[in-house]
Amino acid sequence: MALRQIRIMGDEKLEKVCRPVTEMTARTKELIADMLDTMYDANGVGLAAPQVGILKRIVVIDVGDGPLVLVNPEILETSGEQTGQEGCLSLPGQAGIVTRPNYVKVKALNEEMEEIEIEGEELLARAICHECDHLDGIMYVRHVEGDLFDVNDDGMPEDEEADAEE
Amino acid sequence: MTKPVNIREIALEILMEITEEEAFSHIVLRQVLEKYQYLEKRDRAFITRVVEGTLEHMIQMDYIIEQFSNVPVYNMKPLIRNLLRMSIYQMKYMDSVPDAAVCNEAVKLAQRKGFYNLKGFVNGVLRNCARRLNHVKYPDPKLEPLHYLSVKYSFPIWMLSKWVAQFGYEKTERICRDSHMERPTTVRCNLTRASKEEIIEELESQGITVKQHPYLDYALEISNYNYIKGIAAFRKGWIQVQDISSMLVAEVAAPNWGDTCFDVCAAPGGKSLHIADKLMGSGCVEARDVSETKVRMMQENIDRSNLINIRAVLKDATIPDAASVKKADIVLADVPCSGLGVIGKKQDIKYKMSEKQQQDIIKLQRKILSVVQEYVKPDGVLIFSTCTIGADENQYNIKWFLENYPFRLESLDPYLCDELKSRTTKGGYIQLLPGIHRSDGFFIARLRRIDGPEDGEFYFDEE
Repeated sequence: MALRQIRIMGDEKLEKVCRPVTEMTARTKELIADMLDTMYDANGVGLAAPQVGILKRIVVIDVGDGPLVLVNPEILETSGEQTGQEGCLSLPGQAGIVTRPNYVKVKALNEEMEEIEIEGEELLARAICHECDHLDGIMYVRHVEGDLFDVNDDGMPEDEEADAEE
Repeated sequence: MTKPVNIREIALEILMEITEEEAFSHIVLRQVLEKYQYLEKRDRAFITRVVEGTLEHMIQMDYIIEQFSNVPVYNMKPLIRNLLRMSIYQMKYMDSVPDAAVCNEAVKLAQRKGFYNLKGFVNGVLRNCARRLNHVKYPDPKLEPLHYLSVKYSFPIWMLSKWVAQFGYEKTERICRDSHMERPTTVRCNLTRASKEEIIEELESQGITVKQHPYLDYALEISNYNYIKGIAAFRKGWIQVQDISSMLVAEVAAPNWGDTCFDVCAAPGGKSLHIADKLMGSGCVEARDVSETKVRMMQENIDRSNLINIRAVLKDATIPDAASVKKADIVLADVPCSGLGVIGKKQDIKYKMSEKQQQDIIKLQRKILSVVQEYVKPDGVLIFSTCTIGADENQYNIKWFLENYPFRLESLDPYLCDELKSRTTKGGYIQLLPGIHRSDGFFIARLRRIDGPEDGEFYFDEE
């Protein structure tokens, strides 16, 4: 397992359009494995290659149903909408309200360069849109309605001394 | 993309802290809501409702779970049992959430929390429950009266059997039922700051519903407001949130001009402030407590009050203080207790308390009484109070105290409205019961120091 450094908003790699993957090499496989490790380590549900500084059209996603690797993803179809909070590993500690389609159908290649089609609703649909945007140099902040706000990403709050019990 | 905040997951985590660890519900809930201030009001309300509701009905939830599961609740993984509890609560008590959504969300949550292998179990129990929730057979009130009360109102059997023995079945049911009712907030008017008419006018101008409390002239019941801190009269210091029972303590203490008063377990200081107020700037009130945090908190409240005859002092009521001996006209011993009188406000108390713990609390109460009774001047007054119900921490303590120390009970009737007067108040104590009285469950006794030991008249019954 190897963790890669996640680029923070402002890094120029996050503003570039990425190149399609033409062949699956050992290096690319290693990149995918590292991306998954990095995503899980950061407690994320999705990560795109430019977020670790590699301008390739690769995203990894896991919204709780197991890992999903999408190489050269293309969104074929969307419908409905969902409005909710969204955050990005490249902008830690902040979040904003973003409206996305509620349903997404995406075509991509898997790690073996076989063609796959994935349909997603709700969180998966949101994650696919969010990560595919990264491949075109788009951060979610561009879609945010209203202001960004601070969030803390740790678990439960720390204990304070118990209040006076009357 | 970062993991989104899942309000059901937050609710589940809060429940885990409260039921599996020793956290108190009102504290955890407040901390978490503070942390997630950015969530929409609707989401915050959902979290609060699910956590409080599940705790309020936990024994009933466990009973229902066991109708549909072969695994008893106590044998389940803690996360799974809390997940089932909160899911069934939503099915039974929250019409706004469709049952299918409850099941789906619960299954996803179980999986996300690392219980992939228990997905089927969670799904099975909840789908069965959704189908047959209205056909669940509850204990028969005639055949198993205690079990019936326990499941219907979610009270532990040991507590119920004590109450039934002391108050009777019907009163016990009223106490239980009352703990599930919404009650208005009671506030005390600070009459030194504004007149009652001014206060009522100010409250009503903010659209707040105001009602006169029947027990005390300066007590009001308010409802229809969002945040207490958003009320102008509160910010101006015109009103203080305090249950009527706690106000009655200062009434019964009835300080005279210039009296010295030690409130030995004072935090958060409401009763001390009330007595200081009644002293009209004369005399002196020492609001004592054991921890620095509590003392600091009280000092803040005192500073806000502008009263000059009160101070917060760090002192442990269980350790004798030679300088205090025979110094006080009034000693107020509002001792730590099991808190069974305020279950309506803090639902988790009923599960956390056990008979064993109650015995430890009684020891502590007697220790405090034995120490602080020395501080009462000859002919001075000791007020004993608790926010609990039941003879063990109240009447039996008083009986023990009278047998060991030179005090006698003194009638409360001069200080109470007619509605509260009874044989026991004439005898010197009152047990307020939620559901019977318009207050929290509370106990107050007024004891006067007498020179030689002498048997006080002691009535042990309930009105």
